[in-house]
Amino acid sequence: MATAEIEVPTEGLPSLADANRDISRPISTPYKRFWLLLGICAVLIAAAGVAWTIQIRDGMGRTGINNPVNWGVYIVTFVFWVGIAHSGTLISAVLYLVRSGWRTTINRTAEAMTIFAVMTAGLFPLIHLGRVWYFYYLVPYPSTRLLWPNFRSPLVWDMFAIGTYFTISLVFWYLGLIPDLAVLRDKFTGIKKKLYGTFALGWTGSVRDWAHYRRLYLYLAGIATPLVLSVHSVVSWDFAMGVVPGWHSTIFAPYFVAGAIFSGIAMVITITIPLRWAFGLEKYITKYHFDNMSKLLLFTSLIVGYAYGMEYFLAWFSADPIEMESFRWRGTGFYAGPFWIMVFCNVVVPMSLWFKKTRHSLKALFVISVFVNIGMWYERFVIIVTSIAHEFDPSAWGVYTPSLTELTIMVGSFAWFFFWFLLFAKTLPVISIAEVKEHLAHEHEHGGH
Amino acid sequence: MSGILAQFDTLGATKTAIERLRAEGHSDLDVYSPFPTQELEEALGIVSSPVRRWALIGGITGFATAMALTGLTAIAYPLVTQGKPILSWPAYFVIMFEMTILFTGLFGFLGVLHHARKPGRLPAQYRKEFSVDRYGVYVEAAAAAEQSGIESLLRDQGAVEAEVIR
Repeated sequence: MATAEIEVPTEGLPSLADANRDISRPISTPYKRFWLLLGICAVLIAAAGVAWTIQIRDGMGRTGINNPVNWGVYIVTFVFWVGIAHSGTLISAVLYLVRSGWRTTINRTAEAMTIFAVMTAGLFPLIHLGRVWYFYYLVPYPSTRLLWPNFRSPLVWDMFAIGTYFTISLVFWYLGLIPDLAVLRDKFTGIKKKLYGTFALGWTGSVRDWAHYRRLYLYLAGIATPLVLSVHSVVSWDFAMGVVPGWHSTIFAPYFVAGAIFSGIAMVITITIPLRWAFGLEKYITKYHFDNMSKLLLFTSLIVGYAYGMEYFLAWFSADPIEMESFRWRGTGFYAGPFWIMVFCNVVVPMSLWFKKTRHSLKALFVISVFVNIGMWYERFVIIVTSIAHEFDPSAWGVYTPSLTELTIMVGSFAWFFFWFLLFAKTLPVISIAEVKEHLAHEHEHGGH
Repeated sequence: MSGILAQFDTLGATKTAIERLRAEGHSDLDVYSPFPTQELEEALGIVSSPVRRWALIGGITGFATAMALTGLTAIAYPLVTQGKPILSWPAYFVIMFEMTILFTGLFGFLGVLHHARKPGRLPAQYRKEFSVDRYGVYVEAAAAAEQSGIESLLRDQGAVEAEVIR
């Protein structure tokens, strides 16, 4: 009998109304620490802004980049942030397609991370451009000189890939947010109601609307999956299409994609551990989620470690003295330090995740994820800088050290990313309320466990 | 435009109520749910969404646009670079791939907005509880006799609240 099916919250499980209240609590609670953190980020962004202004005024001489190393910290940091962006789509799209239930409570955070990371990454080609006002040369538009972008160039592919990735991620994120914005619209009064209501577009939760919503959500997950693979492949082709020893390799696309997912998952862990603590979301983001994320981290670490080994194997197997010298120098030359930091952070440290004890200790997990973040920044540094520093002609070899301007802007990019993330965490639900309800309702009606 | 709005607090009761109403010939129902659920879609007889057509047309448009953009601009200003032919389709395919995905997503989103009539105003039968934990079933009925019949049917099915909307 249907009428007897009255919903009795299963013990320990939050009710649907609890989900509304718990997840939207940070929005209505004032936090002093929030303003403090936001202030620190703003100061660091301002410092980076000053550094960039000086660089625009004085020219690229303010940076350490010169011949032969023309790509330095800016491009390294660009690839780093594009990589960070990837796990957002992986968690929201790929795990949706394979019906992995554990994505539910972390997908919103991961998607937000994707958007802010792409926003951060997108700044670096502009900063690296020097004369930033010529950026529009990349955009295909009918100019009076009848010139068009060179569509054979990986840099133009990159612009299309990153632009598409940003737009699709934004649509995916916003679509998921609409029902939750309706929750906030109904919860608040006054100006907040008006604001959330505007962006909720008059969402009612009509089952007909849900049908359209679910269909598009599935499609977006379906197209975001090949998209995410294509984006970091295209980024890797920025390098692999050049005939530089250390870059010109067919393994670059999968190697970069695995590295991107690896670093992205690490960033999700780095962010969700303090977030869960600060907002009291322990009931929703549990050890189960962290255990799964750390297994994914371990798996991608193994792929990345394999790729490092394979690069050396291929250098030896090619029997090409230039390729061999390039890799010998990478591990033992001027940049041996960054190289071994990379190996230690990305291959050695994550091996501790084989042990359940490590996977279940949030402190250990947080430390490991920070190591991976550092290691992955160094990985890009090693790939980009050591390759062009030590090309074919010994008389053209040289080294590069980043300048203060570059480092200030690099630090500022972290502040920029966290600035947006903090604003997001304070103004929007960090967990998808509708999806949590779907999960909870299922657990309640089928005698959850 | 008047009708009966009933609120339910379980998915199961909502589903049987919809099935009963449809069996009695009320096919034009507005059902509200706090989360997406296939069970209610099936109860309402929704099998697919026209959004799929929007996505397909978007994808084809994107692919064709990118093909035209890369090919025609190369012909309009034939400059050999990288020792590749003027029409280097393997290289242009990257652009075509990205634009296919871009247009699929954007057209699909427009499709959802169009078919869900968003942005729009909240209808009179909308209740705040639908974004918390209640399911709503709204049946259009003008005559008073019909209204009371529907109301008692909904109450029998376990509606926790039922009211007349004018």
